[in-house]
Amino acid sequence: MKYLIMLYGTQQDYDVLAGRPSDRPPMSPEQIAAMHAHMESVHKELAESGELVDAQGLTAPVHARRVRLRGGAPVVTDGPYAETQEVLAGYTLVECAGFDRATEIAARFVNPEAEGEYVDVRPVLDGIAELQG
Amino acid sequence: MADGGVEDLLRALAPQVLGALVRRYGHFDTAEDATQEALLAAATRWPRAGLPDDPKAWLITVASRRLTDLLRAEQARRHRETVVAGRLPADRWLAPPADRPPDDADDSLILLFLCCHPSLPPAGQIALTLRAVGGLSTAEVARAFLVPEATMTRRITRAKQRIRDSGLPFALSAGAERAARLDAVLHVLYLIFNEGYASTAGERLHRTDLRAEAIRLARLLHRLTDDPEAAGLLALMLLTDARTPARTGPDGMLVPMAEQDRSRWRGEQIAEGTALVAAALPRGAAGPYQVQAAIAALHGEAPSVAATDWPQIVALYEVLLALQDNPVVRLNHAVAVAMTRGPRAGLALLDALAADRRVAEDPRRYAARAHLLELAGEADPARQAYLAAARRSMNLAQQRYLHARAARLG
Repeated sequence: MKYLIMLYGTQQDYDVLAGRPSDRPPMSPEQIAAMHAHMESVHKELAESGELVDAQGLTAPVHARRVRLRGGAPVVTDGPYAETQEVLAGYTLVECAGFDRATEIAARFVNPEAEGEYVDVRPVLDGIAELQG
Repeated sequence: MADGGVEDLLRALAPQVLGALVRRYGHFDTAEDATQEALLAAATRWPRAGLPDDPKAWLITVASRRLTDLLRAEQARRHRETVVAGRLPADRWLAPPADRPPDDADDSLILLFLCCHPSLPPAGQIALTLRAVGGLSTAEVARAFLVPEATMTRRITRAKQRIRDSGLPFALSAGAERAARLDAVLHVLYLIFNEGYASTAGERLHRTDLRAEAIRLARLLHRLTDDPEAAGLLALMLLTDARTPARTGPDGMLVPMAEQDRSRWRGEQIAEGTALVAAALPRGAAGPYQVQAAIAALHGEAPSVAATDWPQIVALYEVLLALQDNPVVRLNHAVAVAMTRGPRAGLALLDALAADRRVAEDPRRYAARAHLLELAGEADPARQAYLAAARRSMNLAQQRYLHARAARLG
């Protein structure tokens, strides 16, 4: 069974990672290196156990485009999110024994130093049959 | 024999076995599957039971049997289409004389040309080359490109079906066709190298190193063709790779060449690359890989930024621009001009590039401007330019670097 683990961030979170001066405390090179090392090791374990299907990070919300139709023609808005809005920052798609195992994996993505941080994990539909019945 | 030794042996034999099978039986796609299975059988059996007396013959025998099984199964399922090998006119390809035994070198080269055929999409060329010529497993190629294994399997299968359906003969092309096909191979190997070069510590390939694989394939190509551009590509890869130990900072941030600790550069690799390009250049009109390698060699042999032969580098960039007018080359040229004629001269070129849509809003143009403004002593415009570059970049590590430089200027 497949599960999607979703990580979130705000533009402000990305700014801290990008070294942009702000009211929030900056991250040191060592902290950033530790974060990368942790992510690498979690994904490596999942690859070795065969549970990793895919994992990607997304660029900052400011680079997003929102596409609507107006009178049948596409209209594009650049950077549709507010600075403090939580948006999808990345995902890891796993295939594992069950929801409890997926939850156990998801817990490893939550930063213990960041108070209030969370990730979401959702079961993925097994195929068109689950939609159409 | 140690596991690592078996793995290296199998990777070296892979293209020779596949080449022999395709030459004998055709059916490129099924032959490739059969070869993969034989390699897997050997990888499981040989470390335990020891090597057979003739490992290559063993692989060819096992793969041939498997190919027969697979073809029988295919035939039972659907009406078999015969692909006629003679679709290309005879003067477009040449087969060795009938009495000459097929050469392993020819087979590997033919295979390389087939996998890099221009009709395949680049992702397919790369995936198929790594598997069929590099001897990597699908899982290894998938991990190298950070895609799910199922995705990579589909990519490789589609590429093989295209080759099967194209009716390409298993033979070397001649003349202008061969030159174009060789260009395609060089480009694929360059893409593989760049993929490996661009990755940071957090994306390191499991067990196999993409950069090392690209270099290995480039060495093979150089050995098989003795072509100056192939030598140039190998030299460029070696010279670029030599700088790897100095490239990354503590947080995975890339350190620009001007700030790298040159004592950490691999001297032997620089020497080898320099020798290769020095031997290739006098052989005729230099192609783009040779010119890029020559530039890399000049950097490689300079003990410091200041001691670099910048006028020669400017001249080489101008030769390169005449061969391929490419906005990134223009940016590098502008920076090199700044190093010989002063920051203002470089800035003039960068400002002129604002009219080139391909690079006008590229963070690298802003970063280069910022750097030259800093060299010209204009701290505040430089700081603004670093911030402008950071705003345009999507790369967090690059942004950290640019913000840090801006912060240094107050």
